[in-house]
Amino acid sequence: MPPMDDPGLLEAKGLARAKIRAKRRRVRTVRRRTLRGSLVLFAVVWAIVFAQLVSGNDPALSRAPVADRRTVAHKVRPPRTEFAPEAEPEPLEEVAPEPEFAPEPEVEVAPEPEPIVTGAS
Amino acid sequence: MSLAGAVSAGPHIFWITSRAAGTAALALSSLAVCAGLLVGARGGALKGMGGDVKALHEALSLATLAAIAVHGAALLGDRYLHPSMFDISVPFTGAYRPFWTGIGIVAGWGIAALGLSYYARTSVGQARWRSLHRFTALFWLLGIGHTLGAGTDAGQPWFLAMLAVPAAPAVVLLLRRLGRGYGKTVSPVSSSTIDIATAGQTSAASRISS
Repeated sequence: MPPMDDPGLLEAKGLARAKIRAKRRRVRTVRRRTLRGSLVLFAVVWAIVFAQLVSGNDPALSRAPVADRRTVAHKVRPPRTEFAPEAEPEPLEEVAPEPEFAPEPEVEVAPEPEPIVTGAS
Repeated sequence: MSLAGAVSAGPHIFWITSRAAGTAALALSSLAVCAGLLVGARGGALKGMGGDVKALHEALSLATLAAIAVHGAALLGDRYLHPSMFDISVPFTGAYRPFWTGIGIVAGWGIAALGLSYYARTSVGQARWRSLHRFTALFWLLGIGHTLGAGTDAGQPWFLAMLAVPAAPAVVLLLRRLGRGYGKTVSPVSSSTIDIATAGQTSAASRISS
């Protein structure tokens, strides 16, 4: 067995220590980068969804082209826009399939002709 | 972009956060599965980088779990869905798309259980843990199903790109692995050899440091 103060053995020990230290440093770097990347990813997606929403292009809240998607979701619940009706006064008239959200003129007009008919007969 | 349907984001902050966290969880989990499959397929192009990829796999898995937790917890603050703790943690009980949401909850619990079992692998048993850990891919696929079935942004091009870019290589690696046979890539001999080598390295290191 070589003596403990053998220069070759000491050099090997130092090399092994350095390798372990380098490995730990690499692992720490990987972890830090992953954490940073994850936070950036979350922030980017958050910004996209937010921009989509405030610009009126949100798939669940926007009015015109994706109405079919919303009707599926609204079988159970009223439309999600109920929290911010003041933000979109104009499109309300175009949205026919939401009587509970915005009482449209058509809804009120529809029952009117019937009493006239019954009154005549 | 039309501003006709513009909405105040204030009341939807929790909902936006949940959606962003869900999307991030999906991308991160896809990358984690990718890294995990690369760790499993030792050697080849990754020779010498195994430790880094393993660290990456672990970090991505933990980030995925955090994102899943935020995805579920943020919904608790949403005034529209207003789910209870029960609704977001017990599958198939919520009012909103119960099937797809339920699949997502199952996937979340599965990923959490199988991911965190890594830290209990010595008590579970290395071989048993390894065979259990393979089911993570199944829960990941369930998570994709949940996203496409219940995700608000599922039809959006940016979202589909964000889903496909990290998921496609993971699917390819998974199919390759399944094609080769799951058990063959890391055989008991090779895995025990690795474990022995790791143990030897650790004991050598402790001896050096002492």
